[in-house]
Amino acid sequence: MQRVFRRAFSGRDFLWRHRCFSQLAQSEISIQEKDVLLPKMPPFDYSPPPYNGPSAAEILQKRIEFLSPSMFCFYKKPLNVVDGKMQYLFDEDGRRYLDAFGGIATVCCGHCHPDVVEAIVNQTKRLQHSTVLYLHHAIAEFAEALASKMPGDLKVVFFTNSGTEANELAMMIARLYTGYHDIISIRNAYHGNAAGTMGATAQSGWKFNVVQCGVHHALNPDQYRGVFGSDGEKYAKDLQGLIDYGTTGNVAGFIAEAIQGVGGILELAPGYLPAVYGSIKKAGGLCIADEVQCGFARTGSHFWGFEAHGVVPDIVTMAKGIGNGIPIGAVVTTPEIAQVLTQRSYFNTFGGNPVCTAGGHAVLRVIEKEKLQENAFVVGSYLKERLTSLKEKYEIIGDVRGRGLMLGVELVTDRQEKTPAKIETIHVMDQMKENGVLIGKGGFYGNVFRITPPLCFTKEDADFLVDVMDHTMSKM
Amino acid sequence: MALQRYLLNKSFESKDKICRLFLCNFSSIPAPELPPFDYEPKPYKGPLADEVLQKRKKYLGPSLFHYYQKPLNIVEGKMQYLFDESGRRYLDAFAGIVTVSCGHCHPEIVNAVVEQSNLLQHATTIYLHHAIADFAEALASKMPGNLKVVYFVNSGTEANELAMLMARLYSGNLGMIALRNAYHGGSAGTIGLTALNTWKYSIPQGEIHHVINPNPYRGVFGSDANSYAKEVQDHIDYGTSGNVAGFIAETIQGVGGAVELAPGYLKLVYDMARKAGGVCIADEVQTGFGRTGSHYWGFETQGVLPDIVTMAKGIGNGLPLGAVVTTPEIANVMAQKIQFNTFGGNPVCSSGGLAVLRVLDKEKRQAHCAVVGSHLIERLRALQQRHEIIGDVRGRGLMVGIELVTDRKEKTPAKAETAVLFEKLRELGVLVGKGGLHGNVFRIKPPMCFTKDDADYLVDALDYAISKL
Repeated sequence: MQRVFRRAFSGRDFLWRHRCFSQLAQSEISIQEKDVLLPKMPPFDYSPPPYNGPSAAEILQKRIEFLSPSMFCFYKKPLNVVDGKMQYLFDEDGRRYLDAFGGIATVCCGHCHPDVVEAIVNQTKRLQHSTVLYLHHAIAEFAEALASKMPGDLKVVFFTNSGTEANELAMMIARLYTGYHDIISIRNAYHGNAAGTMGATAQSGWKFNVVQCGVHHALNPDQYRGVFGSDGEKYAKDLQGLIDYGTTGNVAGFIAEAIQGVGGILELAPGYLPAVYGSIKKAGGLCIADEVQCGFARTGSHFWGFEAHGVVPDIVTMAKGIGNGIPIGAVVTTPEIAQVLTQRSYFNTFGGNPVCTAGGHAVLRVIEKEKLQENAFVVGSYLKERLTSLKEKYEIIGDVRGRGLMLGVELVTDRQEKTPAKIETIHVMDQMKENGVLIGKGGFYGNVFRITPPLCFTKEDADFLVDVMDHTMSKM
Repeated sequence: MALQRYLLNKSFESKDKICRLFLCNFSSIPAPELPPFDYEPKPYKGPLADEVLQKRKKYLGPSLFHYYQKPLNIVEGKMQYLFDESGRRYLDAFAGIVTVSCGHCHPEIVNAVVEQSNLLQHATTIYLHHAIADFAEALASKMPGNLKVVYFVNSGTEANELAMLMARLYSGNLGMIALRNAYHGGSAGTIGLTALNTWKYSIPQGEIHHVINPNPYRGVFGSDANSYAKEVQDHIDYGTSGNVAGFIAETIQGVGGAVELAPGYLKLVYDMARKAGGVCIADEVQTGFGRTGSHYWGFETQGVLPDIVTMAKGIGNGLPLGAVVTTPEIANVMAQKIQFNTFGGNPVCSSGGLAVLRVLDKEKRQAHCAVVGSHLIERLRALQQRHEIIGDVRGRGLMVGIELVTDRKEKTPAKAETAVLFEKLRELGVLVGKGGLHGNVFRIKPPMCFTKDDADYLVDALDYAISKL
């Protein structure tokens, strides 16, 4: 209520600017159809509180001075994001943007979703941290709720603080359980940035020149660029070759994202996972499904990415969307496999703390209550359809792919050669931001748009996104 | 209460065995009372201990352990106290493992977290946000020398993993040197650095050399830093190519039982590591942020300047947050490739972390740790005179360890007795931590708002418990 009054009496020009903008758009509707008009963002009844903090320039200065020199920023003119609400973000001037990236597939319920914030705030006021040395109901209840979303015998949960920690733990568990060392991951994969996970990660840009042993990188079952197209089984046969010739014949395990995230929204070729899972099991290994990006209803058709491939992994790792942005990760496995950690002591100080688990539990409830999986399916399919139509219009769109609200648009300068349109991608991304849409970038060549918005994304938002992309590309 | 203490002190001064025996058997020493605290916890209506334990067993795996035979269901916290499901108050002398630095649910931290959670929880560093920049600046301002580039991560393990990566990249060498009895993390990489068999799984851990622990109490060279340092040189000369990637140590070992490194040790070893081309990493996950009282950072107590400093735990008063601070020179080497942490430096944790720094300064927590810590150690040392079972009292500020032994000469770990006393203390309303390879060290590392009265209560409770053994 206070915000409404503030908005009315603050004399801010935010509302005026918005109204002026849309009036302009309306007056141009009569212009001929070939011209792509600057689209209008769907309305949103929320005004962010006025921002009185440091400006973008000030922050950038401090970042350069006090933060990692390898820390990068999107956009020519970096965006100072100060407020978020559901699928929208607001900059220092109060300008609204459609967040089609979700803080990298992380904000699944929506920025500052009231139910999640309430859970976090209530728990923060009562008890932030005590560790699992003492009992607390939040971790137990969240583990139970998470386990209930899992197929098969997957019902033991380990809480960590990130996807990297989760994948590190999964790899260690696989090695301990099987007694073998070799792990196979897929080229173009991203699994984390610590010593072990850097090994599993398979893109040179993310791999430092340090010892990374025990990981073999299999041919990527890349339906767009892969040598075997969409023939999942052919790729799987090659992986068998990797086992036969590159290892002792036995492996500790296999890890893969059902849809590669950092790698550019590449959905593994159909038939691949079932065949590979078979090979890995024969070689005595465990199958690890990295659900850090594709989990938690994002793919729409299923709750977990691996379900779309008809497999049941031995270990599932998750992070990002699990907490709508709170630092939490998890590893879920079977009781039998979990036993292996009893050989010694494994402990995670922050893992499973009351606040993060209360938040995580709230996220599961919201996903169910608001039928976000269904929404991801409906809106995602619609969005993919519209993007596919856009592909008909612009040569530069080489591929539109993905599932639910995990979509990718790959730009190429030549459809035959599939030459990555790197510069154009950066340009379009920048222009789209100027026009109010924030998307992500990925792929080895940095030429793939990653569209992984909060799952409360609407059809109108989808239309706005495509229309802005259309408008931007029409101006190229 | 004061009378009892007076009498006990008198008996200690006279060192009269008979008098002591008399008083000990004269079980009129009543159980001490918790200092008063003007706060009522909210009524708890959630699942009770048994239910929670059942679910934990089913959904959290058999490897998840807990304290106490009858596990404690902690449902609320306020400053240096915790409350169980029945509303009973406990003195938290362990701070969620040295993590709750300002105090449970400290109002300023809670406000910062709540306010930011309502604005923006997460966006990542691909966009700008002031909280991470402000926090990095504030943290850097607490650092000596040229330590001013900050990397934010989500835990101590992540911080130490990153530090190892930096060391190897910067030096171009492989081998790391770590101390026996150290704890640096639970991931595959940091398990290598960790040097306590309970925490080490049977997996490859790279080239790590574990040197003799400069443990003044149990170490073969006592407090002779030179001899311990010579052994490090030995490792370098015979066990490595002559070059190492780096040396890492906690100035006061935490998990290892609050063992403070022999004075002068770090100066000597830092020199050796650097001569061998390596960098020096100070693991401040437990000792940082003024806890040692005399200094803000643990490494300052040894008069050294590391190349990389890692921190977590107390940095956020319980928020999942960690950091690595290093020099621009070392940071530049990391710019070769992309190093990204999705949750690291998020607005909420950064705001919380900044609030922690402000609170610690405003409430003069470092000085407070020095005063209360000295008082605590003094009283514990007095207790040591009266109870044979206390083999060693050590530490600095509010990072204190009490090692229990059945034989002072042999220093035989009093494992069983420690376990019994641990439980007794809980019954008396004091929650301490346990550590050391043999689990015979009480770790006293409370929230830094711990008072003298709290310290007195802790010592009195321990006195009472030991007297009942």
